[in-house]
Amino acid sequence: MDYGLNEQQEMLKKTARDFLTAECPKSLVKKMVGDAMGYTPELWRKMAELGWIGLIIPENYGGSGCSFLDLAVILEEMGRACLPGPFFTTVVVAGMIIMESGSEVQKKELLPKIAQGKLIVTLARTEADGGYCPDKVGVRAVANGSNYIIRGTKLFVPYAHVADHIICVTKTVNGVSLFLVDGKSPGIKYNLLKTIDGDKQFEVVFNRVEVPTGNIIGKEGHGNITLRRVLGKAAVAKCVEMVGGAQQVLEMTVDYVKDRKQFGVPVGVFQAVQHHCANMLTDIDTSRFISYKAAWKISERLPFGKEAFMAKAWVSDAYKRVTKLGHQTMGGVSLMEDHDMPLYSKRAKAAELVFGDADFNREVVAQELGL
Amino acid sequence: MNFGFTPGEEKLRQEVRDFLKKEVTPELIAEVAQYCGGAGPVFGRRLIQKMGTRRWLCPTWPKEYGGMNSSEMVGFIIRHEMTYAGAPVSLVGATMAGPTILRFGDDELKKEYLPRLARGEIDMALGYTEPQAGSDLAAIELRADDKSEVPAIEKGEVQVEDKGDYFLLNGQKMFNTHAHFVEYHWLGARTDPSNPKRHRGISLMVVDLKSPGITIRNMTTIAGWKTNEVFYDNVKVPKKNLVGERNRGFYYIMTALDFERMFPVGGFQRLLDELVKYVKETKRDGWPLSEDPVIRQKLAEMAIELELASLLYYQLAYMLDKGEVPNYQSSMQKMFATETAHRLADVATQIVGPRGQLQTGSKWAPLDGEAELHYRWGFIETVYAGTSEIMRNIIALRGLGLPMLG
Repeated sequence: MDYGLNEQQEMLKKTARDFLTAECPKSLVKKMVGDAMGYTPELWRKMAELGWIGLIIPENYGGSGCSFLDLAVILEEMGRACLPGPFFTTVVVAGMIIMESGSEVQKKELLPKIAQGKLIVTLARTEADGGYCPDKVGVRAVANGSNYIIRGTKLFVPYAHVADHIICVTKTVNGVSLFLVDGKSPGIKYNLLKTIDGDKQFEVVFNRVEVPTGNIIGKEGHGNITLRRVLGKAAVAKCVEMVGGAQQVLEMTVDYVKDRKQFGVPVGVFQAVQHHCANMLTDIDTSRFISYKAAWKISERLPFGKEAFMAKAWVSDAYKRVTKLGHQTMGGVSLMEDHDMPLYSKRAKAAELVFGDADFNREVVAQELGL
Repeated sequence: MNFGFTPGEEKLRQEVRDFLKKEVTPELIAEVAQYCGGAGPVFGRRLIQKMGTRRWLCPTWPKEYGGMNSSEMVGFIIRHEMTYAGAPVSLVGATMAGPTILRFGDDELKKEYLPRLARGEIDMALGYTEPQAGSDLAAIELRADDKSEVPAIEKGEVQVEDKGDYFLLNGQKMFNTHAHFVEYHWLGARTDPSNPKRHRGISLMVVDLKSPGITIRNMTTIAGWKTNEVFYDNVKVPKKNLVGERNRGFYYIMTALDFERMFPVGGFQRLLDELVKYVKETKRDGWPLSEDPVIRQKLAEMAIELELASLLYYQLAYMLDKGEVPNYQSSMQKMFATETAHRLADVATQIVGPRGQLQTGSKWAPLDGEAELHYRWGFIETVYAGTSEIMRNIIALRGLGLPMLG
């Protein structure tokens, strides 16, 4: 066994830490919450130049062909920095759907542009009922000559307002189908959702949107199989991002309790505070190991389902506990909006509610146990 | 990163598993429960001696002492399998005292004890705790120059007098589990009461429990097995039995805890497996338990936490094999694993329902009362070998560098 990063990953981690510290300060993160775009094209371009956007895209499609573990290393740093923008939805979600199930034509057309940072792609899956199961889809796509017509409403579509393409999950005759929809198609309307962390998530209304049959990704009716695999990987990616955020919360907390004096001593001498901090570290170490074990399995192309669900079930709750204890330990000052803590505690809740919360994932783990 | 085992490790695991499947009988499992996870006098001893001849008891030790120079990972794998099978794994000699002798003892001591420990012929009992020295182990008391009239034995402490070529010991130890059926006491006692730094006057020594003057009194634990008070009344201990340097004992004890504090969760993995099987086969009020969403949630939760305990466990082997000394990591693993184990026992009794209170041997007890037994045992595990609170202190102080009071 080897619980450590290799030399190349250590370098990648350091580069990511240095870059994000310089280019994505908390002032920018907070400004982007109120910004209409929600990210800066300049930062997006720089990340493309660093090769991050095409990191796991195979070299023959213009990417760097790196492993999922390498991506995990960067995602952990992004979580620590609270990086805003469409990286996750484009690279981890949409990019992997195309890599997983796209036709050769689609891959050749889309992946090189994604790698260059010239294409933003997102996924429209969740509906009003809020279910996480990839088999249950209400929005219909009906064949009409050489096209399909999509009608219905999707929620929580990240960065839909800047997406060149939206991968829309629909119900067709033979099951669940994924359509690559031009983001500027007539009949599409976007409304920004007011969410806890102010990340850009949209209601997207498809009002008789026409899509060519050739834009189906994978086989018609097999979209849920693609989703199951990709969303499992995306859940693991989300977990490592959450680990990065939790780690930063702990470091802020530890710095604070060593420095802050009450009753004439640093509050870090009190066992109530020490035990809070010990519990945070325990949540973080366990979250890190299960998340990276799942990421390692994905990288090695081993069956990863059980570890992925275990990770998302555990980390969803663990990250919330860490933010709760961070606030509790740092007290009043951490409750102010100009402090960094609220960024993390809000993101922890938002991250819990994507790709299944703890209850949802535990149910899948129960199935894995043969129940 | 790599979270898999090598083909060689997998092969050994399978060999150990097959061996234990044959050797671990219900009688042995009952004896293990009666003797606090230790190798009891009949079945336990027989098993560990068979393991000793295969060099599986102390695999990391040099060949000359009965080991096979293996990696720590191999040792961790074997101990996991032993707990899964229900074999005795609480072996003070093989896992705590022996490694300390190997690290700090002189040649004579090594030759005297290590080969016999590795063969499973002898075992030891920890003799650290005194009535006034529990979590605060440095409070192990004794003033050799104490001229007070109150006998040490009544003050609950062990006094050591230097008599030239031997030490003369008087006093009391408590919670010394296994002392009533093993051969030796792994004793920490204060040899330099004049040193104002409390942790700089304690020595470690091996004491033959058959020595004249030793009285052992049983105390029955909540889990049914017995631990002991051990009384020393003018007991002579030859100085050659001193481990390492005189007055360095506290450091040896602490180092040993860093290396040896770990808690394999195989036994609880087995309990979970049996519980999963039970809910699949059992109906309540006409419905299969396996379809109860609350039960499904609880079992999944326990499976996740056991996986995490196991990840923390193998992390220790990974660190040791890299030449690193785990410190906060071993405390975290002990705390997390024992707290998880107790929750699992609790969940198991709940799932079983009213029959969850039935004890081993009752014809109505599902899982042969294992849930009930572990529920009682769980109270002990989060206390002994360092309470969960001491573990959290260590994580905060050593893992995060938080300041100490005073």
